[in-house]
Amino acid sequence: MAKIEIDGKQVEIENGRTVIEAAHLAGIYIPHFCYHKKLSIAANCRMCLVQVEKAPKPLPACATPVTDGMKVFTASEQAVKAQKGVMEFLLINHPLDCPVCDKGGECELQDLAVGYGSSASRYQEEKRMVVPKEVGPLISTKEMSRCINCTRCVRFGQEIGGIMELGQAFRGEHAEIMSFVSNSVDSELSGNMIDLCPVGALTSKPFRFTARAWELSHRRSVSPHDSLGSNLTVQVKNNRVMRVLPAENEEINECWLSDKDRFSYEGLNSGERLTKPMIKQNGAWQEVEWQAALEYAAKGLRQIADGAGAEHIGALATPHSTLEELYLLQKLVRSVGSDNVDFRLRQSDFSADGKQAGAPWLGMPIAEINTRDRILLVGSFLRKDHPLLAHRARDAVKKGAQASIVHSADDDLLMNVANKAIVAPDAMANVLAQILKALAAEKQAVVEASVQSAEVGSAAAAIAKSLASGERVAVLLGNFAQQHPQAAQLQVLGQQIAALCGGKFGFLGEAANSVGGHLAKALPRANGMNAAAMLAAPRKAYILLNVEAELDTHNPQQALVAMKAADLVVALSAYKHQATDYADVLLPIAPFSETSGTFVNTEGRVQSFKGAIKPLGEARPGWKVLRVLGNLLNETGFEYDTSEAVRDEALSGVDVAAQLNNAVQGVALETAGAGSGSLQRVSDVPIYSADAIVRRAASLQNTRDAEAPCALMHGAELSRLGVHAGEQVKVSQGEGSAILVAAADDRLPQGVVRVAAGHAATAGLGAMFGAVTVEPITGGRA
Amino acid sequence: MEKITNFFKTFLLFELVKGMALTGRYFFARKITVQFPEEKTPQGFRFRGLHAQRRYASGEERCIGCKLCEAVCPALAINIETEEREDGTRRTTRYDIDLMKCIFCGFCEESCPVDAIVETRILEYHGEKRGDLYYTKPMLLAVGDKYEEQIAKDRAADAKYR
Ligand code: SF4
Ligand code: FES
Repeated sequence: MAKIEIDGKQVEIENGRTVIEAAHLAGIYIPHFCYHKKLSIAANCRMCLVQVEKAPKPLPACATPVTDGMKVFTASEQAVKAQKGVMEFLLINHPLDCPVCDKGGECELQDLAVGYGSSASRYQEEKRMVVPKEVGPLISTKEMSRCINCTRCVRFGQEIGGIMELGQAFRGEHAEIMSFVSNSVDSELSGNMIDLCPVGALTSKPFRFTARAWELSHRRSVSPHDSLGSNLTVQVKNNRVMRVLPAENEEINECWLSDKDRFSYEGLNSGERLTKPMIKQNGAWQEVEWQAALEYAAKGLRQIADGAGAEHIGALATPHSTLEELYLLQKLVRSVGSDNVDFRLRQSDFSADGKQAGAPWLGMPIAEINTRDRILLVGSFLRKDHPLLAHRARDAVKKGAQASIVHSADDDLLMNVANKAIVAPDAMANVLAQILKALAAEKQAVVEASVQSAEVGSAAAAIAKSLASGERVAVLLGNFAQQHPQAAQLQVLGQQIAALCGGKFGFLGEAANSVGGHLAKALPRANGMNAAAMLAAPRKAYILLNVEAELDTHNPQQALVAMKAADLVVALSAYKHQATDYADVLLPIAPFSETSGTFVNTEGRVQSFKGAIKPLGEARPGWKVLRVLGNLLNETGFEYDTSEAVRDEALSGVDVAAQLNNAVQGVALETAGAGSGSLQRVSDVPIYSADAIVRRAASLQNTRDAEAPCALMHGAELSRLGVHAGEQVKVSQGEGSAILVAAADDRLPQGVVRVAAGHAATAGLGAMFGAVTVEPITGGRA
Repeated sequence: MEKITNFFKTFLLFELVKGMALTGRYFFARKITVQFPEEKTPQGFRFRGLHAQRRYASGEERCIGCKLCEAVCPALAINIETEEREDGTRRTTRYDIDLMKCIFCGFCEESCPVDAIVETRILEYHGEKRGDLYYTKPMLLAVGDKYEEQIAKDRAADAKYR
């Protein structure tokens, strides 16, 4: 601890911290540009100069460590003179035309120039000009001339994003921020650079010039996309969401936001929004009043419940729906007498149902990921599925943790991965068994016979060795593992591995409300059907909550058949979508920005939010629609006035912390490495295809990550098929097929084809896993 | 003493005579009534009348959509929407002034960094039905186009006092 004095105030702070941190602790503001609490210290802007007793010259507060007895003056004559001088230099090359700049009104340089600069410049000569470069659909560098070379953006890429996509080229006056040889900026965290830039050099392309900072109202909200539950500041004007910025929450998203959370708002303003209730009559869609649509739906459901039986009604919801919606949906379905309700649409293995001790969750607080020293990732496209958790894992690795991965694809995680076992999906359970066996040998523990029979390969042995030496181990199952046809096996094995090394075991939840769905009991209990069963054995009536059956399900082929065969499909959706082909009633419901609700994130944090704006057109919050549907079905217990009442009922008597439990009992292990011989499908859900809102976010759809899916195969596999990369191939699965461009990815294991799911181009295919055939199309060069 | 003066003032109609004297003075003085609309009062170059949007000599509209006028307007009479134009500059897609709300304070003109929105000398404008005095961007530009010469002259005259 060092005791220092800043402007006469005594501050005590640990040794090694800097003067600027001490000043902030004391509530004294020191102007700065390049310093950022989450980034390394560059000390290149010199704005933070302060006077320090006995130092002959002013010192940069951001780079000066505190020493005991130090006396700092931030507003002395010397300090003020230094600040004025620096500001004059900074403004030499900076255009002084704030009115045309998009940052005007929220610009750090503007504010500090007013506070610490002088009123006129003595500089008469020509200013530096930077020719703008194109860096992609999200960030505009049109005004690079405004850059003050603080290098925050560069450091963000290196230290947080994991990839340095912007760098500083040339020297002195010619120094310039640019991407490498006209590359674009493709990081899934790139939007944060816009926030970091203290001037208007990096601006948001979708938002650019559409509003000014001062005319926007700020509303707090929670991200509806990945399972992190990032806190958002939704900025609105005239009942329209103009942009989304992060709301700081150190325990969840820190001060960052993934591009998905940041730019998906464009989808909220999409022209595909459903704004009027519609019913299909004699094959033609008609816009009707709410009353008519709801009565039609209620009557249809009642008829089927009374006629064929309530078990012929099935309800499907996406895990992006709010807790209130999920709770009311299950309550509605159960009150008419059916138990068929599920939100785990992309899951395929339900053998652990009824054997789970509680709701699967991360197994630890999110912030604890940074402190792990061994991380085993099982089946996760971590960067794309959980961009900010990837950043936390990266941080852990940077601090010395060893990461290992067992997966069917080897995408670059932008961190050092110590050990990898990249195998076909049907061999994953076997690899985990190998790891378990090797680990048991290290720890002198006994394991089940089925595990004993596994033959430990070198990759598994290396992973086991790394895990055995760890003190704070985390075994994390990603989306891929949860969607895997042997998900329960992977869960049991993962759990045992974690238990053997005394570590934590958890799931990287698939979506914003994956945990909430469990708490809302929106899944079948004793005799109900799960999502897969409901689609495999078509029901007579379906209620779809936010679901686009052709994109959001594990097996779109099957889902479509089931939908088309049904007598009644009631679709509650914010968008007009392919449901027009199979639905009978379309009820426009509000997306997260227009309704109040609750998401429970992957660490079990219950976060409620209010609507930021009024629902568009005739759309109404989902919970209200379900409530009225309940009334119209003459069911009791649907007299809610607020979403809070629904939430309180859903969570009354529920101890959320006690509900979170990853343990599973009574799943028999079968870990024999299969080997069907045929090509297997490996599918990821691309980051910008994961839910209905992002699929309609125009700018995100123009990014690299949203490029049309290819049929990715190992080079050897391609030559075996006699196909060259870039040629078109026909990928067939089940009854459907898709024409895709073949591409080589030698990081994939042999015997698999990677074809993305959740995309219109591949919606004709079947399940996300399983056997597929690939045939060359003769003469079909794309 | 005062009582006595008051007593005489009362019955000698002193106040009345005083009043009539004033009336008489004005009766014979030179008349200053302006016979509007045949006659007009003189106007200063800072007169704040009807608004106009100006263009540069090239024909390019001056307004850059910075929204400072919208922010400064005390009557909230200005409504602006902007977007990025093809050439990468910010332009207004909507620029409305509700003259019924406007109090002609001239702050918009004062705040404009490019002298785009100005108040002209025009004061004789009217509306015949509701909404006629809701001026949109094309209307404002039309006013500017028509009176540009006068507007420019007035700004030039004012320039040396700034
Ligand atoms: S672009 Fe912005 S963040 Fe990057 S160096 Fe320049 S001023 Fe700093
Ligand atoms: S903030 Fe200290 S030098 Fe930039």
